[in-house]
Amino acid sequence: MKVLVVDDSKPIFMMVSQMLKDLGHDAVWAENGQDGVEKVAANPDLELVLLDWNMPVMDGLQFLQKNTSDSFCKAPIVMMTTENKPEKIQEALKNGAVDYIMKPFTADILENKIEMVCD
Amino acid sequence: MAEPEVYKFFSEYVYKHTGILYKEQDYYRLDARFNTLIKEFDLKDVSELYHLYIQKITPEMHTTLIDLCTNNETYFMRDLKPFKAFAKEGMSYLKEKFPNDLSYNFWSAACSTGQEPLSLLMALDSFGDNFNLDKVRLEASDISSEALKKAQSGVYTGLEVQRGLPANLLIKYFTQEEESWKIDPSLLKRISFKSLNLLTDNFPLTQYHIIFIRNVLIYQDMDNKRKILAKVCDALKPGGLMFMGAGESLIGVDIPMTQKELGKAFCYVKEG
Repeated sequence: MKVLVVDDSKPIFMMVSQMLKDLGHDAVWAENGQDGVEKVAANPDLELVLLDWNMPVMDGLQFLQKNTSDSFCKAPIVMMTTENKPEKIQEALKNGAVDYIMKPFTADILENKIEMVCD
Repeated sequence: MAEPEVYKFFSEYVYKHTGILYKEQDYYRLDARFNTLIKEFDLKDVSELYHLYIQKITPEMHTTLIDLCTNNETYFMRDLKPFKAFAKEGMSYLKEKFPNDLSYNFWSAACSTGQEPLSLLMALDSFGDNFNLDKVRLEASDISSEALKKAQSGVYTGLEVQRGLPANLLIKYFTQEEESWKIDPSLLKRISFKSLNLLTDNFPLTQYHIIFIRNVLIYQDMDNKRKILAKVCDALKPGGLMFMGAGESLIGVDIPMTQKELGKAFCYVKEG
């Protein structure tokens, strides 16, 4: 499965990418929301998007809102962020995220979320 | 590394009281537990620990050892499908099979730190067809007093609430308290927790409509598995359902139960 990881931190991408590889998936990196929009267009076979919240240029919430208006991304979007307040989770779900991963997380949490979302 | 007689003594004691088997090749797994016991009782080394235990095992020493040697690995909505099947098809089945029953008795037989019974209630409330939770009598038991203490607190870490629990259910049923998450007390109070040893304690007869006994019998040898499952079967009402863990089955166990497909999951139904 091809997974787009939208996160402005390269170390985070490297870590998530390794976790995904261990689970048998391929990771594509986008370094902010705008880059994410372009990567979605360039990778029609994406099956999942893992989306950070706080990023320059276009943040995760703006990415979700753009998708609500433009429907450019058919793959399910899971928020993956240090924002851990219930109202933030609520806001992300309201704007189209199908699930939410709070950093820090472990590989088994990622595996479990992927199973739930992609089942 | 401890002396062979030390491993033998502790593994036999744990087996006798829990049925959990530490084979010779698993002895190394006891080392970390020995170290915790040495710290707990302020001892010098494994030799002192051994001598303390062979003299007399107080209730406190017993509980500490058993708590350490039980596996509390668990998470919310483990495998998900059984919980959805329980809440939808399971409840439809009970309504049809027990039309005169005003309430249903459920038992989470090895509830560990509470994720399973809470998942059952969340599943009924969220995946069921407007099921009234007042109709549920839910018991939850475990051998580990530490695990039960945590279960009764209803407080979990950020990592624990993320294991298995979709975010929409997290914000529906939990409130954040600093870095922890606390379950809605109105849900927690619906569960009667109790300490119970599946191997040595007696169970009530023909009491339950549904028993969840998942991912606990894998630690037992075949004789103990048969013994426990025979008691579980007796504890179910005729027509009652039993849910086991993914990959667990009744192969080699001769009890009057047959496998039943329920939604996208499998369970066992007691004949009669």
